[in-house]
Amino acid sequence: MSQPIRNAVTLVVDGREVVAPEGTMVVDAAKMGDIEIPVFCYEPKLGDPVGACRMCLVEIEGIPKLQTACSTPVRDGMVVYTQTDQVKQAQNAVVEFLLVNHPLDCPVCDKGGECPLQDIAMGWGPGKSRMTDPKRHFQKPLELSPLVAIDRERCILCYRCVRFSQEVAEDEQLQLHERGDRSFVGTFDDRPYIAPFHGNIIELCPVGALTTYTYRFRARPWDIEQAGSVCTLCPSQCNVAFTVRDERVMRVLARDNHAVDDGWLCDKGRFGFQMFASEERITEPMMRGGGGELSPVSWEQAIEAAAAGLRRAGASAAALAGGGTGNEEGYLAQRIMREALGSPNIDCSPNSPDPALLAELARPELGAKVADLDYAGAILVLGTDPLHEMPILDLRIRKAARRGGARLLVATERPNALDGGAVVDPVRFAPGESAAFISALAGALGAPGYEDGGSYAKQAAEIAAALSSVPDPVIVWGERLWRDQGAARALHDLARALEMHQRIGTGLLEVPEGANTRGLREAGMLPAGGPGLGPVAAGRDAAAIRDGLAGGEVGALLLLGADPVREYPGGGAWKQALSSSFVVSFALTEDESTAHANVVFPAESHAEKEGTVTHPDGRIQRVRPNVPHPRDVRPTWWALTEISRALGNPLTFGTAEDVFAALCAEVPFYGETAYEEIGGQGLRWQERDPGESWVPGRGGGGPGAAAYGADSAATRPPSESGSGPAYAPTAATPGPRSESEEARGSGLALGSYRDLWASEVTRRNPSLRFLMPTQRLELAAKDAKELGLEDGDPVTVSAGGVSVEARVSVKERMRPGAAFLIEGTESDNGNVLATGSPQRISVEKRAEPESNGSGNGNGRVKIVETPMPAEGAV
Amino acid sequence: MNAELNTDGIERVNREFPYLNEGDVISVQRGPEPGGVGGVARTFGATLKGLRTTFARIVEGPVTIQYPEEKTPVFPRFRGRHKLHRFDHDGSGTGGLEKCVGCSLCAAACPSDCIRVVAAENDPANRVSAGERFAEVYEINLSRCIFCGYCEVACPFDAITMGHDYEMADYNRSDLIFTKEMLLAEPVERTPLRREGE
Ligand code: SF4
Ligand code: SF4
Ligand code: SF4
Ligand code: SF4
Ligand code: FES
Repeated sequence: MSQPIRNAVTLVVDGREVVAPEGTMVVDAAKMGDIEIPVFCYEPKLGDPVGACRMCLVEIEGIPKLQTACSTPVRDGMVVYTQTDQVKQAQNAVVEFLLVNHPLDCPVCDKGGECPLQDIAMGWGPGKSRMTDPKRHFQKPLELSPLVAIDRERCILCYRCVRFSQEVAEDEQLQLHERGDRSFVGTFDDRPYIAPFHGNIIELCPVGALTTYTYRFRARPWDIEQAGSVCTLCPSQCNVAFTVRDERVMRVLARDNHAVDDGWLCDKGRFGFQMFASEERITEPMMRGGGGELSPVSWEQAIEAAAAGLRRAGASAAALAGGGTGNEEGYLAQRIMREALGSPNIDCSPNSPDPALLAELARPELGAKVADLDYAGAILVLGTDPLHEMPILDLRIRKAARRGGARLLVATERPNALDGGAVVDPVRFAPGESAAFISALAGALGAPGYEDGGSYAKQAAEIAAALSSVPDPVIVWGERLWRDQGAARALHDLARALEMHQRIGTGLLEVPEGANTRGLREAGMLPAGGPGLGPVAAGRDAAAIRDGLAGGEVGALLLLGADPVREYPGGGAWKQALSSSFVVSFALTEDESTAHANVVFPAESHAEKEGTVTHPDGRIQRVRPNVPHPRDVRPTWWALTEISRALGNPLTFGTAEDVFAALCAEVPFYGETAYEEIGGQGLRWQERDPGESWVPGRGGGGPGAAAYGADSAATRPPSESGSGPAYAPTAATPGPRSESEEARGSGLALGSYRDLWASEVTRRNPSLRFLMPTQRLELAAKDAKELGLEDGDPVTVSAGGVSVEARVSVKERMRPGAAFLIEGTESDNGNVLATGSPQRISVEKRAEPESNGSGNGNGRVKIVETPMPAEGAV
Repeated sequence: MNAELNTDGIERVNREFPYLNEGDVISVQRGPEPGGVGGVARTFGATLKGLRTTFARIVEGPVTIQYPEEKTPVFPRFRGRHKLHRFDHDGSGTGGLEKCVGCSLCAAACPSDCIRVVAAENDPANRVSAGERFAEVYEINLSRCIFCGYCEVACPFDAITMGHDYEMADYNRSDLIFTKEMLLAEPVERTPLRREGE
């Protein structure tokens, strides 16, 4: 479905002529003429109006009864009255009726001062009540979830929260129970409402029925200031507004930006603010002393020490950025590395994209933007689980499927949150086999050089048929596909076969692993890509940096918001690599990597930082300082310029904006962008002049220049590509698969995935801590049966002489022969086993750990002395 | 103005008679010449006239109040230093609990922005106030207060009222920030109330 064309209609509201697009509801049309009609239940974000509250009644000429303005679409020549006696009487009656059972405990109610019911009762109510009977009473407040309290007395039964749960998040947990004055909102069997987006209902509730424990009673609207920034806890980069009181963030609200988040936030972003003012935050520079303890030092000392360590390593130094690191910081870090130290060892993710192909995929005509999903005819979710990796995209895809009529297709290795909505049976490829599937898909779509066949032929044909049946498919794909040789290449070729580069509203959207991976790449934090993805002399990627550190070829490591021990595959090896090297880390709190750092600098949170980030669809967004830096935290960009100065390479930047200007000067497609131009809603560089006429950065012109990008100009139709792709498609050589097919008999093929909650953020925010997952081994029912395991059984999972402990979780829609562990858990981190490529594991049942006994493996990863046999242990 | 420009451009004023018409000249009425018998009589007369009020008050006796030994009684509705209140022990179960629920309405009403309320949730086992919430922090900065009494009017629970105490001088500005404990404490009643008809 492409974006519908809507004609303008003219209507008259209270004597004012209003022109509104066809299909607009009378409420919105009236707003265009500056006339306010009170509403409670109407919220366009929730989809179709329900007309539950009757607050919006208006008189329409020609219709004898009053109509609900929220659910009556405009017609040409419609005449609407919002001020007549009849309407006023109805409004008074509705307000009086709502207040019949409303407790009116405004002084103790959290919503007081920002309550639509207060406002509407004052503005449209009768002013007094004839009610003398006792009001209904419920026990209050009840715990709806560990984060949200519900006061049933205050509920006006507007259905907003229920509709959110049923139709937006689709977790279907909230229901309206009972009837009449006994109605109340709740969950089945009073179970806690635990869902990744449930915090949004607090903002939706038009009264104080739903409040959060993290903000309850903390402040009144007149005590606070509201300021905007961007959440940098995941690549969704939702626009947020911080509620600040006494220079502390008290709550996080959504700052509607249709192009980014559609007005929703996930619970991580909403409740992940407690860490800003946490006691656990690093608030001053620290250095590891002789005793192996980190102790506070002055900034001068720390900068001197960091510079000395990096200088010693010289061209063998390395840098890794991650987390919420901004574009400016990434840009400065790569200048330190490339200019001051002469080192090309720079990376920003555990996956290493081919720079030429990356530049090719960054072309504006191949990229889809988030809003394109709304009208996409089909959406293919390929090798990613948006719920865990980019939560808000999950909601957006659900919306597209539910309201936009998009055909949802899923092809992943692991069961996906979106499986339920897929119109074609979701494809499950084996861990590490994405290339085989995508090549088959490319073949099915007729991309030159790909064979239409292989073991995925049938599924690929189904997906291909669905994709090519619509003019504007969008493919949402995970950064992890870069790990499988040839997958991204095949994806690129199939996108061209679908002629995505020649149509609008269609394209590819990469879901990166880091919050600002796209920005960091474009700022030059790539081993073989300078600012603007320009070609430079190739350096080591993340895995090679790790091996280099362990082998002594890499002398020092600068970490910017990255925690490789926890987040990168091969965590155990990272731990060893870091413990023997000189490490400088910028971190918010002490994490598993700062545990091995020699110099630790305090990092800024997204409530304190001045800078920019780039959304996965190319939207440059501003992160703004809302609260002062706690104690001795200083801007990271400043610290980096000081380190550079100490290394004899003075950078003369006075503000973060100066850094950004320098960055823009090197990234041709950013053009001359200024902070002011980015504004509150961000700016997609593809939509501006220099971006449209895509030119990658100049770069240093080293080896590995973009040979592929050079000859595949956007104008060249795919059919003319002559000799085909630069190298043999992997469909012909499905190496990993034969291995794992064999593995099916002897051991399971292990994959790992990022869980939304398995992160430092969960741990550092007391309100979220209960969500921290413990390690579980996901198995298909068939495999579990063969192994004699049941759901919840404790097991030891081993591979390559390392093992972690987990509990079995039998999943539906799993591919038999595959098993999954979570990456980044507090203990038994799946990254200890994961190597970035699939491998076989053996699973052994453990004795049920005694309660709190020493044998429960809590917080530990055991290195097994005798290597586990590769097979037979099953 | 009779002015003319010379050839050298310098303005010259005709100083002989700068006014054009006779109406511009106002003659001033003057009093009698000072001195002489008449002058002396007039001086004493005026002085005595002035002293008449003085002598009349002398017979009324002194009205000086010997502050601080002695204090001016105030009217019952005099707006002095605030008081926070607790419920009476009237057997309704709320006795001794603070009336203030920490709603911040007083802070919203305050024109000089000198009230700071930070609310918190009551622990049902150990209540501070009668409602769901209570004021964990309640401060009034009396060095900024203009004693307008809006806070008293705004409070939905009559938890805060204006007392009669007006002796609030201190050596330190920060000592003028009254905390909840200070406002709840029964003040040493230092200000006499004006009696009926006084
Ligand atoms: S709890 Fe709030 S949002 Fe939900 S139905 Fe009641 S009033 Fe509406
Ligand atoms: S989805 Fe991501 S960016 Fe949005 S609020 Fe959640 S963590 Fe932040
Ligand atoms: S008397 Fe007036 S100025 Fe003083 S605290 Fe009350 S409202 Fe504020
Ligand atoms: S004194 Fe009254 S108005 Fe002020 S916070 Fe307490 S209850 Fe509210
Ligand atoms: S807003 Fe129209 S019925 Fe609720």
